[in-house]
Amino acid sequence: MALVSVRELSFRYAEAPPALREVSLDVEAGEVVALLGPSGSGKSTLLRALAGLVPHFHGGRFSGRVEIDGRDTRRTRPSELAGTVATLFQDPEDQVVFTRVEPEVAFGLENVGTPPAQIPLRAARALASVGAGDLGDRRVGQLSGGQLQRVCLASVLALEPRLLLLDEPTSQLDPDGAATAIELARSSGAAVVVSEHRSERVLEACDRVLFLEEGRLREDGVPDAWLPREADLPHGEPGGVPVCRLEDVSFGYDRPVLSGVSLEVGRGEIVALIGPNGSGKTTVGKLAAGLLEPQEGSVVRDGRACYLSQDPGRYLVCERADEEVALAVDGDLTRARAALAQLGLEGFAARHPRDLSSGERERLALAAVLVAEPDLLVLDEPTRGVDPPRKDELVRLLRAQAAGRGTLVATNDHVFAGAVADRVVSTVPERAAALA
Amino acid sequence: MRPAAAAALLAGLAAAALLAHRTVSVAVIAAVLLVVCLRAPAERRRMYLVGALVSGLAVVVVTPFLETIGSHPIWTGPTVPVLGQLDVTTEELRNGLFQGLRLTAVALAFAAYALLLDHDRLVQAAGFARRSVLAIALATRLVPTLERDAAGLVESLRGRGVEVSGVRGRARLLSPLLAGSLERALNLAEAMEARGYGRPGGTRAPRPGWTGRDRAALVGATALVVIGALWL
Repeated sequence: MALVSVRELSFRYAEAPPALREVSLDVEAGEVVALLGPSGSGKSTLLRALAGLVPHFHGGRFSGRVEIDGRDTRRTRPSELAGTVATLFQDPEDQVVFTRVEPEVAFGLENVGTPPAQIPLRAARALASVGAGDLGDRRVGQLSGGQLQRVCLASVLALEPRLLLLDEPTSQLDPDGAATAIELARSSGAAVVVSEHRSERVLEACDRVLFLEEGRLREDGVPDAWLPREADLPHGEPGGVPVCRLEDVSFGYDRPVLSGVSLEVGRGEIVALIGPNGSGKTTVGKLAAGLLEPQEGSVVRDGRACYLSQDPGRYLVCERADEEVALAVDGDLTRARAALAQLGLEGFAARHPRDLSSGERERLALAAVLVAEPDLLVLDEPTRGVDPPRKDELVRLLRAQAAGRGTLVATNDHVFAGAVADRVVSTVPERAAALA
Repeated sequence: MRPAAAAALLAGLAAAALLAHRTVSVAVIAAVLLVVCLRAPAERRRMYLVGALVSGLAVVVVTPFLETIGSHPIWTGPTVPVLGQLDVTTEELRNGLFQGLRLTAVALAFAAYALLLDHDRLVQAAGFARRSVLAIALATRLVPTLERDAAGLVESLRGRGVEVSGVRGRARLLSPLLAGSLERALNLAEAMEARGYGRPGGTRAPRPGWTGRDRAALVGATALVVIGALWL
């Protein structure tokens, strides 16, 4: 019998169009399945249905049948499935219960009744396996986005589940971390269903691909046809009149992050900044945009700078999407709606930003900074939660607008970096020295 | 000292402040708690200290106008509908100061709990009512989480060239902050359920044993309550 059996599953959230329509599939034990599809196609909802959270937690209208390890999810609470099933959610910041790393990883183990003596050992082993063995005593608030994602991954791996559900597990991880995460999931022996927009690593590791569109399962096949192109990172020379120059900049929070960093972004140039999690990419971006002042060294800018945070949840100040975007242009709704249309959100002007899916929120946030037409545009992880077709559109848009400004993109998405940038600079190996 | 023992000590101090009869005793307790709070990093403690001191001061100011006690008027004012004639007596001032100090002491005890205690260890140490302790720990995190969310919103606005200043500018953030905290609470509840929270048969990671210092703190907390009720 299959570990996962889904038959004629349809589901709609309250007062919303159907999120899933007549989906049927099986997943065998140990199978690794990539779940692909555009934003809003029902990937996250399907993962929630496999965890029993749909319908127990979300309500809505549910029809069909989902069985996990022979248990019907309509009659089994998600908490009873925990241990057999483990879920890693899209936003690591919204799933952390404790303030320190060790108890956070131990939390699930305690809930499922792991013998007390085994809890610290399994927690430490899971942390070490994701390369976070040194983070056990750290406060989660001090971790970078990528480090936090590793901790959340350790929390689910520690449960040693039979079914692992991963919703965008590598969205904030550097490529090495992403490869490790996928390999760990695969080698855990569990069946894995992983939804991921940065699909290159997943496709290399998976046995099967499911493609969802508008809530329907459109394709169920082998990954060969989906394998993406390789990243080709350009390493050109700085060009154009500088719109931003960092010289010997040092900065730290409770510990040093940058030391003696220099970087130049010229007008007409797109520079991609890559490097491992916690290596200071975000800090460089904030210094360039003027949101942080260097503790040593200098930052010189020419003209207006705009900064896109890596958390699209920060672009939810207003009640309507067009008003949110118009904030940067003194309330000019015409320009705001044009910016929304550029990002494929033309029908969303009157929607409340909180009603948008995560991918749509990311595009709203992009529109909110692009609308200002700044001289320096700093984008921090702009492809988080953005599906491949939208990513290609973003590349075209940034390239088309590149001539009028300098653009600095901090990203772990090397395929995107290779496609969009004129020049890629890394925060390693000599983070302490000049970047470029 | 274990967080549970420290929490008991802080609760004892707060209870003593509520049970004490003398203004000077409550003032001493509030001063002790203030000194304890000053051990927290300046950036984190500011909001808690301002909240505690302002709310205490508000009670000091408002109480004389709402109470009608004492026979030594210092000031007699106009008659206000519903409230009657406004006056301030020496006894009302004394009582206002007393109640204000009480509130300040309790607020400072909470501030010390929120700022200085390791809430994770407190939850782990809970021998019973673990759900309640976890709920309190999560609620305590609300203030720093809101602070972080507010900083994030301000940063996103500054990143678009929009400066947030003045009461009106900051008030604009209240609605998104509230909506954000509700959304976060829902997401967290979902994640907790998916991780088995609430299922019977849970266990706990091994905890370190109680030291002599921890036991002394528990005795001290009990003593503070008794002393506060009988002699302060």
